[in-house]
Amino acid sequence: MVKGNLPFVRSLRLTHPDKLLWPESGITKLEYVKYLYAVHEPLLRYTRGRTVTLIRYPNGIYGHSFYQKNCPRYAPAWVPRHPSNGAGAILLNDLPTLLWLGNQAALEFHVPFHEAKDHRPRELALDLDPSAPGFAQVTEVALLLRDTACRLGLPAYVKTSGATGLQVYIPLQPRYTYGDTRRVGAFLARYLAERYPRLVTVARRVGERGTRVYVDYLQHGPGRTLPAPYSPRGRPGAPVSTPLSWEELERGVDPAELNIRTVPERLRSLGDPFAPVTSGQGRASLDEILAFLAKRLPER
Amino acid sequence: MHTVWKGYISFGLVNIPVKMFAATEEKDVRFRYLHSTCKTPIEYVRRCPHCRRDVGREEIVRGYEYEPGQFVILKEEDLEAIPADGRRSIDIMDFVELQEIDPVYYDKSYYLSPGENGEKAYALLKKAMEATGKIAIARLTFRKKPALAAVRVYRDALMLETLFYPDEVRSASMVPGLPAAAELHDKEVRMAVQLIENLAAPFEPQKYTDAYRHALHELIARKIEDQEVTPAPRPANVVDLMEALQESLKAVSGEKKRAARPRKKVTG
Repeated sequence: MVKGNLPFVRSLRLTHPDKLLWPESGITKLEYVKYLYAVHEPLLRYTRGRTVTLIRYPNGIYGHSFYQKNCPRYAPAWVPRHPSNGAGAILLNDLPTLLWLGNQAALEFHVPFHEAKDHRPRELALDLDPSAPGFAQVTEVALLLRDTACRLGLPAYVKTSGATGLQVYIPLQPRYTYGDTRRVGAFLARYLAERYPRLVTVARRVGERGTRVYVDYLQHGPGRTLPAPYSPRGRPGAPVSTPLSWEELERGVDPAELNIRTVPERLRSLGDPFAPVTSGQGRASLDEILAFLAKRLPER
Repeated sequence: MHTVWKGYISFGLVNIPVKMFAATEEKDVRFRYLHSTCKTPIEYVRRCPHCRRDVGREEIVRGYEYEPGQFVILKEEDLEAIPADGRRSIDIMDFVELQEIDPVYYDKSYYLSPGENGEKAYALLKKAMEATGKIAIARLTFRKKPALAAVRVYRDALMLETLFYPDEVRSASMVPGLPAAAELHDKEVRMAVQLIENLAAPFEPQKYTDAYRHALHELIARKIEDQEVTPAPRPANVVDLMEALQESLKAVSGEKKRAARPRKKVTG
């Protein structure tokens, strides 16, 4: 099941298994931890080697919640950490760590785009955030972004944010700086905004966005994170940030149907649409695009 | 207004949830700097003179120059390791008279508004401070740094003034050329006092405006009216650029294929 060296885990105890984490869905901590077990392979494949920022909801999604970046002092010794911060950041590397965090009622797992060891982004990610209710508009923008990336020879993959939007990932050869990837992300976003001005905006001020989809290229940067694929969200209905195939997105998706109850079965029958993002194969080179942009679109 | 800080006023056993808003704003006219010949906004590059290349933000670290050319490097984690009081509270230490604080100590002013369920306690503190005419001296952690502050009543709100620490206020004894004990005639003193009394008036801040800023705005408006305007060179049209980029990528991949052919190497 779990490949690689498992840490020597003396004990892993589930406390308060009946605690309701998503009360109106009736999802208890036990069911939540079972969910984490069901999705651990594709989730960890993405997060392995990366630090994680958690959002913990000790009393369920309607209780007090807080962000946690540093590894707490009471964490078991086998929880892997990266000495990037004073106390060390948690590396979401293995199943015991994931389950231990589940027991801590960490409901959201946000990770950066690079592995802790090298600070080189492994994906260029664009966060598509609709300004008006409904999923059709953000779906359309994601498909336009895929087509644009495709014309530039860039592979693109998509997942729901678990909230209202979509996130598009372009796997990269891990040898660029965030300055490089940000330039390409900004170019793609600005292109969409200028080509489809009624549909897409890159305006940072919410008031300027109107009903358009905000293509957030600034969320891709050092120190920025997005929810890991298969991370649940602390929102009603226990939605999950779910990788999708472009075909199913073209047919139409209801993000509310992608939740803790449905995603494990989906994973069994459809597999993980994000597998190519983590495979190490087919990662894009940005060399030619960067050379072109350096010449033709000097940074302002 | 946008919240710059959120937390509690804490004194005695009472905690009052509050939000903080900047009370003042600069109105200086801002300029951008352009290249005089082509009128393009100037871009600043971070460049290492030793390595002779531009450096990215992630390649930059903080150094403290403890003597010329000698640095200690302070990383993000070093700074985070300094125990800062992470509590989000404005801890009231003393109540003092407003007149006791010399204006030199005042740095920046912020309005405080009551947070959720804090209205009653907020009103009570404000009322009590009005009744006693006292203002509070407090500590808080703001923008990751501990700060000294005064909390006072201003109109309908509580206001927080950040204060300079005493060692940040330069001593008046450092001012050169202060007269020690000049000989003054009573008559001269009387005349000067008389002059001051003639000019005495209530403080009406509306009377005072920034004449320079007004003149500058007028000058700018006039130049716009007279069409004395300079558009920046048209920013690159991103849509056209995308076309061009696709063309250039096609050309590159074509070259690669041609280059690969003679060697009978199959690439895919």
